[in-house]
Amino acid sequence: MNRAVIDIRDLRFAWPGQDAPCLDIESLQVEAGERVFIHGPSGSGKSTLLGLLGGVLAAQRGSIDVLGTRLEKLRPAQRDRFRADHIGFLFQLFNLIPYLSVVDNVVLAGQFSARRRAQALASSATLRDEAIRLLADLDLGGALLERRVTDLSVGQQQRVAAARAVLGRPEIIVADEPTSALDADRQSAFLDLLLHECDAAGTTLLFVSHDHRLAAHFTREIALHGVNCSWRERQPA
Amino acid sequence: MTHLPGLALRSAWNRRHTLGLTLIAIALSVALLLGVDRVRQDARASFGQSVSGTDLVVGARTSPVQLMLYAVFRIGEATANMSWAGYEKISAHPLVAWAVPLALGDSHRGYSVVGTTRDYFDRFSYGAGKKLAYAQGEAFSTVFEAVIGADVAQRLGYRAGDRIVLNHGAGDVDLAEHSDKPFIVTGVLSRTGTPVDRSVHVPLEAIEAIHLDWQGGAPIPGVAIAPEHVTKFDLRPKAITAMLVGLKNRAGVFRVQRHVNELKDEALVAVLPAVALDQLWQVVGVAERVLLAVSAMVVAVGLAGLVAVVLAGLNERRRELAILRSVGARPRDIFFLLTLEAMGVTVVGALLGVMLLAALTALFAPLAASQYGLVLEPRLIARSELALLAAAVGVGILASLIPGYRAYRLSLADGLTPRL
Amino acid sequence: MRCPTILPILLAAATVAGAADKPDYKVGDRLPQKPAAAAPAAYKETPWDALVPANWNPAKEFAAVNFGSLDDSDPRAIAALEKLREAWDNAPVVPALNGTRVRVAGFMVPLESHEGLVREFLLVPYFGACIHTPPPPANQIIHVLPARPYKSDREMDAVWISGVLETTRAGTDMGNAGYRMKAELVTPYKR
Repeated sequence: MNRAVIDIRDLRFAWPGQDAPCLDIESLQVEAGERVFIHGPSGSGKSTLLGLLGGVLAAQRGSIDVLGTRLEKLRPAQRDRFRADHIGFLFQLFNLIPYLSVVDNVVLAGQFSARRRAQALASSATLRDEAIRLLADLDLGGALLERRVTDLSVGQQQRVAAARAVLGRPEIIVADEPTSALDADRQSAFLDLLLHECDAAGTTLLFVSHDHRLAAHFTREIALHGVNCSWRERQPA
Repeated sequence: MTHLPGLALRSAWNRRHTLGLTLIAIALSVALLLGVDRVRQDARASFGQSVSGTDLVVGARTSPVQLMLYAVFRIGEATANMSWAGYEKISAHPLVAWAVPLALGDSHRGYSVVGTTRDYFDRFSYGAGKKLAYAQGEAFSTVFEAVIGADVAQRLGYRAGDRIVLNHGAGDVDLAEHSDKPFIVTGVLSRTGTPVDRSVHVPLEAIEAIHLDWQGGAPIPGVAIAPEHVTKFDLRPKAITAMLVGLKNRAGVFRVQRHVNELKDEALVAVLPAVALDQLWQVVGVAERVLLAVSAMVVAVGLAGLVAVVLAGLNERRRELAILRSVGARPRDIFFLLTLEAMGVTVVGALLGVMLLAALTALFAPLAASQYGLVLEPRLIARSELALLAAAVGVGILASLIPGYRAYRLSLADGLTPRL
Repeated sequence: MRCPTILPILLAAATVAGAADKPDYKVGDRLPQKPAAAAPAAYKETPWDALVPANWNPAKEFAAVNFGSLDDSDPRAIAALEKLREAWDNAPVVPALNGTRVRVAGFMVPLESHEGLVREFLLVPYFGACIHTPPPPANQIIHVLPARPYKSDREMDAVWISGVLETTRAGTDMGNAGYRMKAELVTPYKR
């Protein structure tokens, strides 16, 4: 039986100064290699959940077990390190640092994590070589690598971000609406590329989106507003 | 952590247009601060070493500082002269070892002409007791001969043996020239770093000789006395501007000073050079401190500008900081990143300021020397200025902590998803 | 954000405060001869009075004259003043002090000063001796050559000098008698 990569129990999180919790989850587990599609209306706690999983937020109550490590027992600096080592992030827009080149944006993931750096160097001689290899996998290469990131199209930018997210083979990838800014016809293509990379490495993928048409690509679907008890309580009766 | 400086550098370069302006502001303000101190130190050095080994400077009654300014530093003009009789009376005092008269008021193409005796070259000292030396030639002996200072020789291209013509009245303007009585340069003095370099020295009799056919500042029409006939006239001077006095016993300086001050037939003043200089620095010292304080404020304003620019840019960088957090940057890394950026601009700006000042010094040194008697040493930075520089950079580093800290707090609050 | 504006004020205050105030002397002030706390034992602390021979009293000639009844411009007053001055100019020294190691406090009148360093000076008993008041008698002036140039930053510094006092021989010229010292130590006088 697969060990759960993510195991959340009795999680409660409220923003400072607020009485009512924003997130209240009794139980949520994700198995290794799953492709999870998470959806929910705005205010259902998606960003908060990502923040908690990423370790930038700390819950007032409950436990978050990621890859066997209890996040709530770690100090903030340790959580940052954990995130760097094991989780790759992908956002909807503005994924790239404007003053770094395409390749340097990808290499960033290996600079903040020794573990991912080591794993990347297992496949290529240098971080840069590995970055270029991943970009090639995502159909980016040649002259494009020399362009400023601000000159790339949104689709190209998202693919660069995806390369960064998978560099060094983190066990989990968290993607927060990565396709929402793309044209309809590009969305599928991007998703295919991303899923292909995840399958190759056995990565667990958590994909947050409001677009149900994409749900078919995933092994599991979670409606966050169903899992989040505080959402139900906040609804007018 | 080793990649953070690289990131900071790229980030600063990306924003070079706005940061560049603050960089220039910091460079200019640091140049100003160090420049004020440099002028201050060099002024004291230049003036302080202009005269040595002279116990008293005597002239028509005026303030001690005024007398020093026109008699020794050749700045400004004497409003009244002292009589030759006064000179002889003072020279005869039993405590006086030597006395050198000075007659000022004429000029040669902007450089002061000094009428004096051969004793001047033996008795005059400057700096720490240094004597005058000749780069070429020797002292004058007959009436129409001159010894020129190093600056005069260099800028006007004179050498021993050349002929020169003198004007009446100090100044660069070509007023009435005494072109019928040219002078031969018998000697060129080695560089001293004092007003001697900017002076043309001629015998006292020469000043009288030039003015023989002059009256009230203009030639008497119809009267023209040829040079060879001049020596037939009585060329003994009737008045001089000032005199330098050396005593047999330096402890007796107060006695002689009192003697001069109390001469009944003439209103004279005797000044101790070192004391007069001290008085000058007391007066000037207040202005110096104010200038220094103002320059320090300007530096602070420049740094405040830098801090404001970086802080203002923080808002649009919140997404960028969130990306860095997402790849694993700690809030502490964000702090270092922003602090390093601001610190880098401060340090580079300060270094640029130092170089700017060195360039300005080199550019304006000749003008300062010839117009104001201020010898500016061409150098990159003086030891006293290092302290000021360190203070400015130190304050800048402290100031850089402000945007760093702000970014730290922002990043903590924003996490991975800043609400913009 | 208000933090940046504090910087100019802080810097300015620091600069101005750096020009710290030193005690101001008035013309005619003498230095109190208090026992020095850490005086080097090698030097004998000497007050200015000790430099005057015990039997020298130039004013004794005028004991008979009643100055209170004279005008300032009275020729007798002027003549008396002249005689007094002459006596002061020729004031004798105390020969026994020649070669003694002494320590004297007084005010510095610079003779040679170069880049803020005083290399030769006269030590006098009271402030302003060369500006407004009549100069001191010849046996109240010490011609000092310090072993190391002294860093002076204001007019008429108050200092302690320590060294071997010499009396210069009176020559045939008037006024050649006096005191000299190659000072081994010159230190500031602290109130």
